[in-house]
Amino acid sequence: MPLAPVDETVSIGDLVRDPYPIYRRMRAETPVVRVPSVKRTFLTKAAHTKMVKDDVVRFSSNDPTTPMEPAFRAHTLMRKDGEEHRRERMAMQKAFTPKVIKTNWAQLYRDITDRYLDRLPRGETVDLYSEICAPVSARILTHILGLEGASDEEMMRWSQQLIDGAGNFGWDPKLFEITDKANDEMDVHIAACAERLRAEPNDSALSLMVNAADPIPWSQIVANIKIAIGGGINEPRDAMATIVYGLLTNPDQLEEVRRQEAWGAAFEEGIRWVAPIQASSRLVMEDTEIGGIDIPKGDIVMSIQASANRDEELFEEGEDYHVFRDKNPHQAFGTGPHHCAGAHIARRTVGEIMMPELFERFPNMSLPDPEAIVWHGFGFRGPLSMPVTLN
Amino acid sequence: MVKVTYVAADGTRTDVDAEPGSNVMQTALDNDVDGIVGECGGAMMCATCHCYVDEDWTGATGARNDGEDDMLDCAADEVKPSSRLSCQIKLTEALDGLVVHLPEEQA
Repeated sequence: MPLAPVDETVSIGDLVRDPYPIYRRMRAETPVVRVPSVKRTFLTKAAHTKMVKDDVVRFSSNDPTTPMEPAFRAHTLMRKDGEEHRRERMAMQKAFTPKVIKTNWAQLYRDITDRYLDRLPRGETVDLYSEICAPVSARILTHILGLEGASDEEMMRWSQQLIDGAGNFGWDPKLFEITDKANDEMDVHIAACAERLRAEPNDSALSLMVNAADPIPWSQIVANIKIAIGGGINEPRDAMATIVYGLLTNPDQLEEVRRQEAWGAAFEEGIRWVAPIQASSRLVMEDTEIGGIDIPKGDIVMSIQASANRDEELFEEGEDYHVFRDKNPHQAFGTGPHHCAGAHIARRTVGEIMMPELFERFPNMSLPDPEAIVWHGFGFRGPLSMPVTLN
Repeated sequence: MVKVTYVAADGTRTDVDAEPGSNVMQTALDNDVDGIVGECGGAMMCATCHCYVDEDWTGATGARNDGEDDMLDCAADEVKPSSRLSCQIKLTEALDGLVVHLPEEQA
């Protein structure tokens, strides 16, 4: 079989600005394609991205050239498979279950959301992205993880810096200098919180890990918390901003979502449409074949879930935001053993609490200039602001 | 073939002919049965394929596998003695006629 065709025309800059027309073309013409600017083989079809992520024997998570390792100063669970991955993941998974959220946290999340909504002025245009989406996500995450004492600003900055480092596929050394400093700050704060939680345990992820009967190594506890900081603020922030945009630019859908209280469906469609995490790498462990293309051992394939989520084989009018789809088998949370550990939290905080509270508080909210919104990102993607007029 | 019946939370029954060797989660996905999500693809890393084995079949399906209890703690709906992760129920000829009930919530 042939090797993957090579696409020399696509630059990282193109992908950061607007990858979707590129992915649409790739799905139609070269669904499995080598992209030299990213040094990876892109998989753009839903069947292929799912197959690769479900099969950790042929496609290892341990991408040896991931910028994640310098960015987090750790070999994190996201780059491990099998028992080691299971043990580290399960060490904090129970802090993220639907039952824990419902019984211990839901009211606190509502109160936090209300408090931040209370601060917004009526009759003015405000940037929801910086006033609500980011700080509410940060405040909620601080409680989930057990990092009380960290400010919104610190949590948001750490998250952004980790994400910028993890997505540093151009290996710019300056970005790693920034993550080094953020790691120093996080290490100090996590250690202080752990000491407090040993004395006063609660249901947070850090408490669960440090007080476990058979705890995982401290280095991995810290790495796990950092992964959750990286994945627990920017992603709900971007998801929320994207859904606000989708609903405000489709008022007929917003009306129907309100009528049916279909906030969960609005959430799922938002993350399908513009997945906050767009792509992930896997190392090929043996010579294999994907979609009639030979893939050699040692190659690094990139599962482009952003593209899978608009695959014409699964979605009609996939380029558009349509809440009321019959089925929505998106891969925004990934698939396989590395399926997002925070999926339950995201669905409940963003879908069941933040979105309905926002639209209930500001029923006539409007987006004055949708064209002015800038969308940004290749590995991680979302709008850079969401200025809305409140009334 | 192995016949499997999925009973949705609202009582709707769906009969499916499954391949022996497959599992209850994958069979649901392959046949578009609503109510089973299976987000982790059968790796026992999520609890979105939670099902309740019908009381006539709990003996035949056997005990939970290692690690299944821990993951069931993460299920969205109530966990009962008959709760299983359907990805862990492998279909053999001995399970021909199996009935499983689906929870209201998976995610």
